[in-house]
Amino acid sequence: MLQEQAEGAWLPGSPGIPPAAFGAGGPMLKQFDQSTLVSRKGSQSTTPPLSVKGIGGKVAKPDYSDSKIVLAMVGLPARGKSYLSNKLMIYLKWLEYDVKVFNVGQLRRTRARQKAQQSGVKEDHTANWFNHGNAAANQSREQLAHDSLEMLIQWIFLTIRADATNSTRRRRASIEARVAKEKGIHLIFLESLCDDPAVIAANVALKVSSGDPDYKDTSPEVAKRDFLRRISEYEKVYETITEPHLSYLQIVNVGSRVTVSRIHGYLQSRIAFYLMNLHLKPRSIYLSRHGESQFNLEGKIGGDSLLSSRGMQYADALPALITDNIGNAPLTVWTSTLRRTIQTGSKLPYTKLTWKSLDELDAGVCDGMTYEEIEQAYPDDFANRDDDKFNYRYRGGESYRDVVVRLEPVIMELERQQNVLVIGHQAILRCLYAYFHHLPQEDLPYIKIPLHTVVKLTPKAYGCDEERYALPIAAVDTHRPKPSTTAPIVQATTARKYFAEGND
Amino acid sequence: MVAPLYTTASGLLFHAGKILVITIGLPARGKTHISRALERYLRWMGVKTQVISLGDYRRKTLGGAQKLPPDYFTLGEKSKETIALRKKTSDGCEKLIWDYFEAGGQVVIYDANNGTKAARQALAEKFDKSGIHVVMLESLCDNKEIIEANIRGVKISSPDYRGWDPDKAVEDYYHRIRDHEKYYETLEETTWPFIRIINVGEKIILNNIQGYLQSRIVFFLMNIHNKFRTIYFARSGQSLIEHSYKADSDLSPAGWEYAERLKEYVLERRAKSLEQRGINPKERKLVIWTSTRRRAHHTAWPFFVSAPQMPQQPAAKSNPPSSDAVPPTSPTLTSTTLPLSPSSSSIKSISSIKSARSSRGSKGPAPLPSQIKVVEKPQMLEINPGIWDGLNPDQAKKYYPEDWDRFVKDPYSFRAPRAESYHDLSVRLEPILIELEREQEDLLIIGHASVIRCLLAYLIGLPASEIPAIEIARGDLLEVVPASYGVHSHAFHFWDGPGRSKDGVADEGDVGGGVKDANNFYENYAEDTKGKRKVATEEYAAVVAEAARVAEVVNAPGH
Repeated sequence: MLQEQAEGAWLPGSPGIPPAAFGAGGPMLKQFDQSTLVSRKGSQSTTPPLSVKGIGGKVAKPDYSDSKIVLAMVGLPARGKSYLSNKLMIYLKWLEYDVKVFNVGQLRRTRARQKAQQSGVKEDHTANWFNHGNAAANQSREQLAHDSLEMLIQWIFLTIRADATNSTRRRRASIEARVAKEKGIHLIFLESLCDDPAVIAANVALKVSSGDPDYKDTSPEVAKRDFLRRISEYEKVYETITEPHLSYLQIVNVGSRVTVSRIHGYLQSRIAFYLMNLHLKPRSIYLSRHGESQFNLEGKIGGDSLLSSRGMQYADALPALITDNIGNAPLTVWTSTLRRTIQTGSKLPYTKLTWKSLDELDAGVCDGMTYEEIEQAYPDDFANRDDDKFNYRYRGGESYRDVVVRLEPVIMELERQQNVLVIGHQAILRCLYAYFHHLPQEDLPYIKIPLHTVVKLTPKAYGCDEERYALPIAAVDTHRPKPSTTAPIVQATTARKYFAEGND
Repeated sequence: MVAPLYTTASGLLFHAGKILVITIGLPARGKTHISRALERYLRWMGVKTQVISLGDYRRKTLGGAQKLPPDYFTLGEKSKETIALRKKTSDGCEKLIWDYFEAGGQVVIYDANNGTKAARQALAEKFDKSGIHVVMLESLCDNKEIIEANIRGVKISSPDYRGWDPDKAVEDYYHRIRDHEKYYETLEETTWPFIRIINVGEKIILNNIQGYLQSRIVFFLMNIHNKFRTIYFARSGQSLIEHSYKADSDLSPAGWEYAERLKEYVLERRAKSLEQRGINPKERKLVIWTSTRRRAHHTAWPFFVSAPQMPQQPAAKSNPPSSDAVPPTSPTLTSTTLPLSPSSSSIKSISSIKSARSSRGSKGPAPLPSQIKVVEKPQMLEINPGIWDGLNPDQAKKYYPEDWDRFVKDPYSFRAPRAESYHDLSVRLEPILIELEREQEDLLIIGHASVIRCLLAYLIGLPASEIPAIEIARGDLLEVVPASYGVHSHAFHFWDGPGRSKDGVADEGDVGGGVKDANNFYENYAEDTKGKRKVATEEYAAVVAEAARVAEVVNAPGH
């Protein structure tokens, strides 16, 4: 156990070297597994589960099948409904819930586009269409909402949400009645209210300027006027939620006032808590791995080694890079409790905090080994890890999924914070990065986060802008691509989706 | 060294500054219940928190209701004497609040009616001027049943009504409340951040709540409930390598025996305990939480195996290197409406169990719950010993004498290289704790000693510094029933065998009973109580008794 010997040597005043810990580096593990098989024969259990062997294995995906939730958005246009539902979808998907957003606006645009393509008739979707005196349009709006709800119920997965205005009691009652027909689905309304003119104006401006196809070929001024008219059409009939029997969550001015009513169940309260923590203040999140460590140089995983000399150069160069980029704005630096991240951040002139949850994925019995050593000793197990790296848990250690669970409070806190620099580790930053860019779990363990590079993420309404600053200090490449596939291409997008998925 | 997240030089945690929570609400609206629960939670997180109760203070300084002038509880016109007395009481409480803040306290929860706008405004301004964050916490109740239950269950047992006929006492108490109602001004002003709780959590309204600690308080309040349920704790069975964290070793033959015995005993004990309360055990579910360690979730294994519809071997068998045996879930059996956490790594559910062997002999097997569900939670792993993995306390002391000294001095917050401190463990367990509060079904937690310590300390209300020394014996089943103020807890001894000492066997029902734990192996050095002042089981029995005594005082009616 090289790692333990090295550890002993670092500690002052340690008399002698402690006995080696249990690890996969020697014959110990295999001998132990053999003896377990023997002892198993004395087991009292009628049907004992599989005995433990090897260095790890795949873990089952959590079963969330008994929490089916429909979250129906309520609110006038330009109140951030799509923003909230989008954020929530990303958060829940990151936690491996099956989530789908059913957006009535998307459905309307998609259908209109199909119609235009087929028949050449372009429907009038200006404010007139949203006039509640317009009977034909009223009917077709009702139809759209209905269809969208039906699609959602057919989509039998777990957590589901409709994204539409749902602004009248009648509409809400009809959703309630329809959902009640399905067994085991919980319905929650999420109302976004806004009376701060600045917030509304910003939302309107974003809507008009962001290429909404409703306003294709229209000048921004006309578009804005029409959109404001559309809002006033809705305002005429808008009824805020007061029905006492409904489960609902009401958010006023992006969280300054929140009402939570009849929210039962852990997931529901989690959703409420998450939405309470969101804010819209402009800020950036900087992600950096620690500088190159001695273990990186030796190709070993895990450990608590110090930086290499090139790693130290990176630590020296980091303050200038960050300060140039951020100017006088306040910044908080988060590190893990491992020495390589603390060392990397040591020169930064900002408040520095350590967070145990940011420690690197625990490789369990493989800690301190190189990939080659693992492959030699356990070729089958090693190949297995590549089959499903996200779900592979090292024996006595963690899987990527375990890391995601442990990082959940970190994400919650990152959402609340303003400018933060996270000095972390490869697996940790992959998980955080995947959250901000909404990347699927199977790609997550292969995201490229090179050493000596700062990734700057700036959250926007519908995604994150990304910039990367690579410092010209050489470092080893610790990225191990998935055999025979390429790393996922990350398309950072801040554009809003205007059409339903699969129709573009 | 960098400071840990959210600890500041002043000793205030979470960079939150000092916070004064002012409760608002008519008597019997559960203010005290909420205040005490919040105090317990914040203290467990390491925040110096104190409830200052005006009712307690009044009783302490002026005596019970009998000794007060007749117009003390009637609002409106009052004699000079009464006004002076009331002022003396509230001034006295205010001074207590200041004293606590000055002595380094971080959060004060001022438990009083604070029913008039002018009075609470004046109070809030005073503290706000000194840079203390004020949060108003209003508890409203329009559900008559909740109020009545609260009065019957709590209020009339207070010293104010000692010797009264219960119905008369209830009537008198209603009279007292009615007088308050006339003058009560509900919280309308939005000057201060506020939290309004309606019918103990049915509806919550928040205004302008900002800051980390405040948002945690809200999340906690969103999850508490006061429905009856029972929480059981048991350690996992003995494993093949007890002292290794990394080995993730499986149960030893004795461990398997233990698992079988645990299942029988839990079902039996649970049935008995529910029947005593007039509840049919077949109508309630049982949820089991374990960690992702093999020794823990395999200890829950007998709960599946005897289910007749379960296939004999998990599907994972076709995949030999898989070390994690996951029993398949029968798809028809998963229709449950239990709240699930995003953290559960896998959930298994079975609808009925035909118990195989039973210790009840001719009495037949214990009645089964309507459903048993086992959930594995990665946050419930035992405390990580870091570089001390595999060492016993004597070896740790020998090879790392300096670290050992620091560890012995402060076993709660010392973190060995790459290890977790108990504080780290508490932070990791915090989401579990919230889920524990939220859970409404009966719960069995099969865990590691360190994890049970943290959760038990929270439930009982032990100070954080005592956590590492709590004795958790293998072979004891701890039964915890949350009550209005604190919990009732009992330890039931059900097993002796390898992994537990044979000396000093405790009798059933006796809390711990002074078991010598020399051979009661813990999973790693940090789990061991060696080198720490032991909080023996008797001692926490005393703590529970103390909590009951405090509750009695606290339970007394408003002032």
